[in-house]
Amino acid sequence: MQEGVQIADPARRSMLLTALYIAQEQYGYLTKDAIERVANRLRLPVADVYSMASFYSLYRTEPTGRYVLQVCEGLSCHLVGGADRLVDYLQKKLGLEVGQTTRDGLFTLETVQCLASCGTSPAMRVNDALYENMTPERIDELLETLRGYHV
Amino acid sequence: MAMVNLTINGQKVSAPPGSTVLQAAQLANIDIPTLCDHPALAPLGACRMCLVEIKGQRNLQPACTFPTTEGMDVQTESPRVVVARKFVLDLLFAERNHYCMYCEMTGDCELQALGYRYGLDHWVYPTYTKRFPVDATRLYFLMDHNRCILCRRCVRACSELVANHTLGVRQRGAESMIQADMNVPFGESTCISCGTCLQVCPTGALVDRRSAFMGRDIETEHTKSTCSHCSIGCGVEMVTRSGNVLRLEGDWDAPVNAGVLCQAGRFDPLYDERERVTKPLVRKKGELKETDWDTALQAVAKGMKGTKAQKLGVLASTYATNEALYLLRKLFSQELKVSNLGLLNKVAPVISDQGSLADIAESDIILVVGTNPVNDQPVASFFVKRAVDKGARLIVVDGKDNGLVPFAYMNLEMKEINRAVELAERAEHPMVLYGAGITKNAATALKKLGEKASFVALELGVNTRAAAALGLNNGFDASAAQALYILVGEQDLDGAPVLQKVGKDAFVVVQASFKSPLTERADVILPMAIWSERAGSLTNTEGRVQKANKAVEPKGEAKADWEILSLLAAKMGKKLGASLDDLSALAAEAIRPA
Ligand code: SF4
Ligand code: SF4
Ligand code: FES
Ligand code: FES
Repeated sequence: MQEGVQIADPARRSMLLTALYIAQEQYGYLTKDAIERVANRLRLPVADVYSMASFYSLYRTEPTGRYVLQVCEGLSCHLVGGADRLVDYLQKKLGLEVGQTTRDGLFTLETVQCLASCGTSPAMRVNDALYENMTPERIDELLETLRGYHV
Repeated sequence: MAMVNLTINGQKVSAPPGSTVLQAAQLANIDIPTLCDHPALAPLGACRMCLVEIKGQRNLQPACTFPTTEGMDVQTESPRVVVARKFVLDLLFAERNHYCMYCEMTGDCELQALGYRYGLDHWVYPTYTKRFPVDATRLYFLMDHNRCILCRRCVRACSELVANHTLGVRQRGAESMIQADMNVPFGESTCISCGTCLQVCPTGALVDRRSAFMGRDIETEHTKSTCSHCSIGCGVEMVTRSGNVLRLEGDWDAPVNAGVLCQAGRFDPLYDERERVTKPLVRKKGELKETDWDTALQAVAKGMKGTKAQKLGVLASTYATNEALYLLRKLFSQELKVSNLGLLNKVAPVISDQGSLADIAESDIILVVGTNPVNDQPVASFFVKRAVDKGARLIVVDGKDNGLVPFAYMNLEMKEINRAVELAERAEHPMVLYGAGITKNAATALKKLGEKASFVALELGVNTRAAAALGLNNGFDASAAQALYILVGEQDLDGAPVLQKVGKDAFVVVQASFKSPLTERADVILPMAIWSERAGSLTNTEGRVQKANKAVEPKGEAKADWEILSLLAAKMGKKLGASLDDLSALAAEAIRPA
């Protein structure tokens, strides 16, 4: 149940993005419970908190794999011939489509718009870390390293 | 006040400082088309329909959010503007399903009207073939996402006007959708079905179920009136066609509510399924028999005249009109000298002069004492929640289950009233909203706030203020009455407390719109018209006398509450006021505080 909303204090609203981020770290993704707790803690409407959480690709309201692979589909990455090629490669290699998670729960594949790394495109992100100048070979290496942590 | 001077389409215009280009244009009667903008809502600038060309600005600017400056030169329909508006419309029409001929709103849709205005005769972009959901989980209205243009009027109405904060927009870009709470079905959300979002939606996305496909606006009539539910007295518009009320809308021009309504005001009256009384009835040999007005009134007059004044009793509903309550007092208390008078529900005591509901918005601390406006006067609860949104502190002195407790800074018991009073004393503009649930001690304690606070009583019946002012609340005792006149009207009650006490042989007259245990017991039933079928006036809790108007004919032989009493008075040989206007004036005079 939602506690009373008090939207008067702008300081509380300004904490929203950070609060969601912390909640996501603790819960893995933004569960209904996590969103409700953030809303109640900041006394903001649940609707506002959910709107915010669903607006940014940084936040997730669905469970994901251990590693979220976000391939940039922005203009620069696209122009260097990266985006499509890398997405295709990852789909084949992992046996899934964009938006899906591997059966072992390790990888989720997503596409995003501009990671602000155009100078070193094509770029991708794995959870919070940025990977630049990506090629299929470097992807192989990367996946191997990540898998290595979980044998 | 120094005005800002500007030129719009070559015409010299001046507007108060801080006006937007749109406001300045409206002042000069220059029409700029809008979609997301709504006079009752804060400007947003979401739809780009109002784009105008401003000299010196590289890009076209939205008139609804762009502030005016001295010497500004604006063009509202230049070729560049028209191209841009068409482009915006082309995109809007392509974004979702806008096949108007299948839409409930066709003919009354703001989007469609703009399509005509800018001559859209074909789809420029391939139309969106994706199907969006329709949410029909609410009883009174549905949400068809296929018609939604994401103008966010509904979202803003729910937050700004109702302060309910149910709605939001999830996702972004082409994925954006209007949603409730955490993306739950509307019927399972925190929505209170006030219908304010429904009233502001410019398209066929939010649709009233009851009046859907019952006619375009030009085929209907609109009659302004006053809501007959609680003592706030909100302005409503009855939308009728061929003698039927299709729906109720909030009157944007009404001084009390400025357009908003609650579920009880907007929807409930049209879903009332109680059985009507449509003919006068008189008990003969133990059975109620239909008869004509003359016979019924004759029977009442005889019963009343044959009873001594001390043995006569009168009970009135706080939902009756000023005119009826005035006649009731005049006839029974002044002419027939009856002193056993009472009201059908409890009334709050008088603590101080009544303040104004508008004071709620200006207050920094609000005490809600012995009243639950969330249930009983929802529009007052909107005002309170709005004030809380702006930073006012709310103290609820009532049970933990009071609907305002979740919004309160403090929830106190009645015996802790002094703490609330202390806090209020330290505030700049304290406001006290109280109801019949207040204790004597609490009322006395609150008197300390005297001049400083604004007091408004929140009562159940729409016309409680008039009933109390007319002295109809006089410690009624049912067991003392040999003949009893009960003006139940439209009030929904079983009358058990009265029926238990009233003597077996007592002669009972019931003036009522609906069948109930009270009419079962009656010896004479006088069929009464309901809110949509009668004219008159009502006094809200602030003492504001407002008109109630008639939109449709009474059902069967029912008559207006005051008309029945005036006929009865004539039957008893008393001539009490004639026309409705005369009666209204007399009643207003009698109600006005000395
Ligand atoms: S439902 Fe209506 S008011 Fe709400 S965003 Fe859609 S079109 Fe606008
Ligand atoms: S009906 Fe009222 S409470 Fe419900 S979503 Fe609409 S404006 Fe909000
Ligand atoms: S377009 Fe890929 S990082 Fe900017
Ligand atoms: S009316 Fe100005 S942007 Fe929508």
